[in-house]
Amino acid sequence: MHMTEETETHIFAVKTTAKQERAVVDGIYHAITVDPSFKVTAVLSPDELKGYVLVETLEPVARIEELIESVPSARTVVPGETSLAEVSHYLVPKPAVAGIDEGTIVELIAGPFKGEKAIVKRIDTSKEEITVELYESMVPIPITVRGDNVRVIDRGET
Amino acid sequence: MAPARKKKQMKACQSCHKVVEGEACMTCGSTNLSEDWAGYLIVIDPRHSGIAKQMNIDMPGRYALKVR
Repeated sequence: MHMTEETETHIFAVKTTAKQERAVVDGIYHAITVDPSFKVTAVLSPDELKGYVLVETLEPVARIEELIESVPSARTVVPGETSLAEVSHYLVPKPAVAGIDEGTIVELIAGPFKGEKAIVKRIDTSKEEITVELYESMVPIPITVRGDNVRVIDRGET
Repeated sequence: MAPARKKKQMKACQSCHKVVEGEACMTCGSTNLSEDWAGYLIVIDPRHSGIAKQMNIDMPGRYALKVR
């Protein structure tokens, strides 16, 4: 059979057990090394996409169902396929401080001040860190936290 | 009580984004590794993979999408 460079690939989503996405990616990779007849070109687990992994393959959906039978924590293949255009935004992760500005009210979701509300004072885009001051504290104490450790509550003026 | 099993922490190379297990990156030789990475991608066949083309990856292997 003549194989061309421009073979069309399909991208399927595989449902996984929660928090087992990386294990499923490794499991699929292992299953392919055991049986190289599965023509899978890439397996992707974006951080934003919880509970699913994306499989890029030259095979039809039935073969992927066959493949994941041997993979622990992989549950089902989602019916229908997605396209590269639809998943490409996962490949360029947006910075953790995107959407946070000075004056934004955030809630800390990790660390010793978890659950506290704070107001953003300074943003360091290159380090992806933000400096906040706790809302309810009597004296303003600046605290520097990672951008992904906060949840935006109020963006201030909209 | 059974001793807690310590999970092996994999690291990602900050220059080529490869996920490695040792203390140095096998591809670029860099020791600039980070434990703080997110997004996991395994490229098996970079010649036929649209994802690999978009990421400019021409070597099969395990990659992190984001390395801090």
